[in-house]
Amino acid sequence: MSGFVAALAGFDKMTVGRLRMLLDHLEPEVAYATAAGQRTADGPLADLLGRNADLAAAWRASAARRDPQRCAAECRQLGIVVVTSLDDAYPAALRADPWRPAALFVRGDLAGLQRRRVAIVGTRNASQRGREHAARFATELTGEGVTIVSGLAKGIDAAAHRGALTVAGAQPVAIVGNGLDRPYPRSNGTLWAEVAERGAVVSEWPPGTPPDAFRFPLRNRIIAALAEALIVVESRDRGGSLITAHEAAKRDVAVFAVPGGLDHPASVGTNALLRDGAAPATESLDILIALGLDGRRAANRRYDPRAQPRGRDQQVVDRCAEGPCTLEMLAGQFDRSLGEMALVVARLERDGWLRETAGWFETLLGWDPT
Amino acid sequence: MYSSISTAMVVGSAGHAITVEVQVASGLPGFHIVGRPDGVVREARDRLRGAFYSSDEPWPKTNTTLNLVPATEVKTGSALDLAMAVGILVADGQVNAADVRGLAFIGELGLDGSIRHVLGVAPMVAALGPIDVVVPSASYLEASIAAHGDVRVADDLPSLLAVLRGLRPWPVPPPPPPTPLFDDPLDLCDVHGQQVARHGLEIAAAGGHHLLFVGPPGAGKTMLAARLPGLLPPLTNDRSLEATMIHSAAGLPLPAGGLVTRPPYRAPHHTATRAALVGGGSHALRPGEVSLAHGGVLFMDELAEFQPSVLDGLRQPLELGTITIDRAAVRATMPSAFQLVAAMNPCPCGGGPPGACMCSDGERLRYARRVSGPLLDRFDLRVPVSRPGAADLLDGTPGESTATVADRVRAARAVAVERQGSLNAMLGARRLDQYAEVDEAAKTLLYDEISAGRLSGRGYHRLRRVSRTIADLRSVQTAEPVGVVGADDIALALAMRTPLGASSSGWAA
Repeated sequence: MSGFVAALAGFDKMTVGRLRMLLDHLEPEVAYATAAGQRTADGPLADLLGRNADLAAAWRASAARRDPQRCAAECRQLGIVVVTSLDDAYPAALRADPWRPAALFVRGDLAGLQRRRVAIVGTRNASQRGREHAARFATELTGEGVTIVSGLAKGIDAAAHRGALTVAGAQPVAIVGNGLDRPYPRSNGTLWAEVAERGAVVSEWPPGTPPDAFRFPLRNRIIAALAEALIVVESRDRGGSLITAHEAAKRDVAVFAVPGGLDHPASVGTNALLRDGAAPATESLDILIALGLDGRRAANRRYDPRAQPRGRDQQVVDRCAEGPCTLEMLAGQFDRSLGEMALVVARLERDGWLRETAGWFETLLGWDPT
Repeated sequence: MYSSISTAMVVGSAGHAITVEVQVASGLPGFHIVGRPDGVVREARDRLRGAFYSSDEPWPKTNTTLNLVPATEVKTGSALDLAMAVGILVADGQVNAADVRGLAFIGELGLDGSIRHVLGVAPMVAALGPIDVVVPSASYLEASIAAHGDVRVADDLPSLLAVLRGLRPWPVPPPPPPTPLFDDPLDLCDVHGQQVARHGLEIAAAGGHHLLFVGPPGAGKTMLAARLPGLLPPLTNDRSLEATMIHSAAGLPLPAGGLVTRPPYRAPHHTATRAALVGGGSHALRPGEVSLAHGGVLFMDELAEFQPSVLDGLRQPLELGTITIDRAAVRATMPSAFQLVAAMNPCPCGGGPPGACMCSDGERLRYARRVSGPLLDRFDLRVPVSRPGAADLLDGTPGESTATVADRVRAARAVAVERQGSLNAMLGARRLDQYAEVDEAAKTLLYDEISAGRLSGRGYHRLRRVSRTIADLRSVQTAEPVGVVGADDIALALAMRTPLGASSSGWAA
């Protein structure tokens, strides 16, 4: 049965709406046969095919290419389970959604979705601070029994998954925009495998689907629909995470945004969200309260294994926490020679308090996700 | 009748002595040039005929043969014109052979009989040896610095012939051009703020280290680089002569005194071809930018925008201090010992403070990889430059002047040369252990950096060389000799080797 769904979902010119139209009213075998032109269609489907001769031809050609049994074998081989809205495993949060996916391809276990769910999304070109904050929220919320939902993209998404995976028993869920046969982006391959191992990697497209640009906004709607609260950590002025935020707002999901500096390009989108009424996320307690969870444990300070800097070193760490500094800015401010200051930052860098990017030093919060 | 006249040609930056043999013999009228003339030399016939006509000299009516000796090498350039004209006149009996004995001729002829300046007079005259040489007055300065004999001037064929026939004395050579007061408009005090970059420049000057500036556009990388020659000491006599020959061969104007004594500064554009950079041409091999920068600074702005094949051409000069150009017919080796200063953006968008950059890690990595690892390895210093803050720009107090910094540089170079006989950039691994010992605190710091994977083996040696220079500069400033390199010096050297490529991995360590 799953073979018919997998074959159907991979048809040319197949859209989310058309697949839902097929699978909502018909058994998968029947839907497949109808789409392949082996059965006469009726109802709205007949309308659609009648209006659109190209579509009927494309589907007939696709049916010749996509053999249900081979598709089923491919899914089995990759360890992919096909879940439709008729299955018990289909996420409850999606059932009532008007734009729900007709089928989900799942690697791993969706049990995490039984718990409270928070989505963490953001830009792919994240700053070091942004990645750290994403990892921090993910770790702290997972520690409170919340499941983290994200998109396994570079930057914030990856940091959120990594943060969640640091907690024992975490079952993070990743919604991706391409087929599950091949990790995308490739650099996240290991992370992808780990999420599939402990939680689940989910796609609404069958294996073999390339990561086309148009699939990512569609993927974002699933993230928004699955979440009870959404945290946008960093976003540029027209980032994909704003689409997720928009989808979340449509579904009455609480949208949180992490405030950032006004002149920080990676915070333009999040600041705009705050202006438009999103709630600021400054610590995980904000989200826990919104979810109605007890947040007392989250407020406890985490043990920081780094050697505490002393005296002037601490001042340097504090200064770099206000914003990135160059060596000469620090030397000027603390009235030291370049050599002395270079020694201070080298020590702090070694101890994990600072990190250099192209001559700029930033304070690490100790949540480094990499 | 037969004649034989000395002249010269230039290949690359070196002159080659040539003898023009002329025979005007009986037979049908004809004019032949043998001895592998190239196109320019073959065209000399028409220039010569025009000049003879304008000067009222008879063109030989019988068979004329010119042989350019040595006959196996390709002859090139219009510098042979004058010697060919004089040779024909002697062979034709218009001028006595005795009157041209002990004279060499270098110059191009115009159809009006005028004698013109050619490229490479200095190396050509140098190649002629102890013989008097006749050149146009425009070439007098170049010829006189290289000549082993006397230099005579002649500006047109009729007056030259009048002198040779004993009708007139040799004209008085032109007076040397007035020496302008040495006034370099580029002073380091124009650079506001930029402490790290300024210090990097000083270290580069003191240690002879190749330097790479990494920073966003508008940070002042070009401005800084252009001020490096001012910090360097004047060229030694040998270097100065070599640089002068190269400048002459390339047709660059020579300074008022004739000799190139200040370190040259060359800044080729990133669209430059390989031939423009290393030198080339079909057989008239011309010096490229690497040779023009001999003894001085080669500045390559937007290093990553150069064609990889062009950058590849830098390897030999960086390694050997010379560049050899091979063509089927000719080969030339030219001196090209320069200090390389380059500038590049950290990423395609230009970068800036963290978070300002729009580039993905992949884009950054691809951008950094356009410069090959071996070339990147040549840079002892990779100095981060950031845009100066508003306060620094508006601050009226000028930075340290070139003169002040140049004094320190001179002293630090003297310290290094006295200790090991060379600049610190030339220190190999074994000599580093001998001359650049590090103290215990510095060892700990190095140990931490290496075990954290931030420092590779090659990077380690570059770091030690640079820290030796930093220690030398420190000893100059405190007037106390610094025997052992301290942790401060190592830390500062670490700050002068910013990672390139992906934001965090720093693959090019």
